[in-house]
Amino acid sequence: MSGRVIVITSGKGGVGKTTASANIGVALANTGASVCLVDMDIGLRNLDILMGLENRVVYNLVDVVEERCKLRQALVKDKRMPNLSLLPAAQTRDKTAVNSDQMKKLCLELKAIFDFVLIDSPAGIESGFQNAVAGAEEAIVITTPEMSAVRDADRIIGLLEARKDEITQYRLVLNRIRPKMVANSDMMGVEDVLEILSIQLLGAVPEDEDIIISTNKGEPVSGTDNTKSGLAFRNIARRLRGEEVPFMDMNAKNDTWVTRIANFFNPVRV
Amino acid sequence: MQVFNWLFRVPTGTAAVTAKDRMRSMLVADRLELPAGRLEVLEEELTAVVARYFDLEPETTRFDIQQIDRKAALTANFRLVRSKC
Ligand SMILES: Nc1ncnc2c1ncn2[C@@H]1O[C@H](COP(=O)(O)OP(=O)(O)OP(=O)(O)O)[C@@H](O)[C@H]1O
Ligand SMILES: [Mg+2]
Repeated sequence: MSGRVIVITSGKGGVGKTTASANIGVALANTGASVCLVDMDIGLRNLDILMGLENRVVYNLVDVVEERCKLRQALVKDKRMPNLSLLPAAQTRDKTAVNSDQMKKLCLELKAIFDFVLIDSPAGIESGFQNAVAGAEEAIVITTPEMSAVRDADRIIGLLEARKDEITQYRLVLNRIRPKMVANSDMMGVEDVLEILSIQLLGAVPEDEDIIISTNKGEPVSGTDNTKSGLAFRNIARRLRGEEVPFMDMNAKNDTWVTRIANFFNPVRV
Repeated sequence: MQVFNWLFRVPTGTAAVTAKDRMRSMLVADRLELPAGRLEVLEEELTAVVARYFDLEPETTRFDIQQIDRKAALTANFRLVRSKC
């Protein structure tokens, strides 16, 4: 078996890489695929918290690379979904603890076991990013519709383009969209960002308080409820599996007929 | 004086339109690793070269940088009055 290794990356920090990794991972696992979430944010471990698995971490990625344990020993299986595992980051080391060759080797091992290997990468374009993309053949670029995040995403896209021998496909996830503000032309919408970045859309995720609630519970929204953000992440997972899922309308409801007409001509979609 | 058309244009309109305009010119400069002021120098030199061969209508000269996919394309437009030789 050979799985797909997909890196989730952004340039700017705090735009939703870890949130997207957890949610896409859970959604993919719910479609029946076997999934491994890899936390490459060495020194700033977060993914275990979002997954509610922080109490079950024994070994970590650096232990595997430095051969203090077997890969299988470091993988934390999610009890709710036996086909979902987490390979946690080391919390007390830094980005220099691994190198690109070690990551390539690790990814080869992982994709022999799992259908999907999702790599949550650290912010920035330095060694942490280089290591995170080293073993990947696909990328998901995350940004919010803010100018500074879009600029940094463009930088990442440039770096991914330069690796097109290894990274064969990259698509965009636009996170934290506020449909009402987009409808009022107070911020850029999906079409605006796509046009600026000239990149294919994988999905758009609305700003959603349920993300904060679900993070606190350790249960990613895509697995549990009927929130808009959860649906957006499930759609992303289905598109990753090759399904053609139409981009859904996520315009603000209860608006006036004027904004409805405006929305008709310039809809916001997930 | 000629200006590079939408690049470095002072944006007007809604916050979304302004953001998009600013993003476009910022990313053109980022992707080309273009230092500030460089285009103005190019503009002067190009105009000087064409002006050696033709009388120009200087007010109508236009330079544009457009984004085609992720590449930039430069267009210069000179109105020629007559040949100089
Ligand atoms: N769609 C959303 N709606 C509301 N809050 C969100 C959304 N997406 C992310 N957040 C919040 O934004 C914050 C940053 O998210 P996250 O940790 O996933 O970003 P990151 O890109 O992994 O950050 P870092 O660069 O530090 O690793 C979190 O508090 C998260 O709950
Ligand atoms: Mg993170």
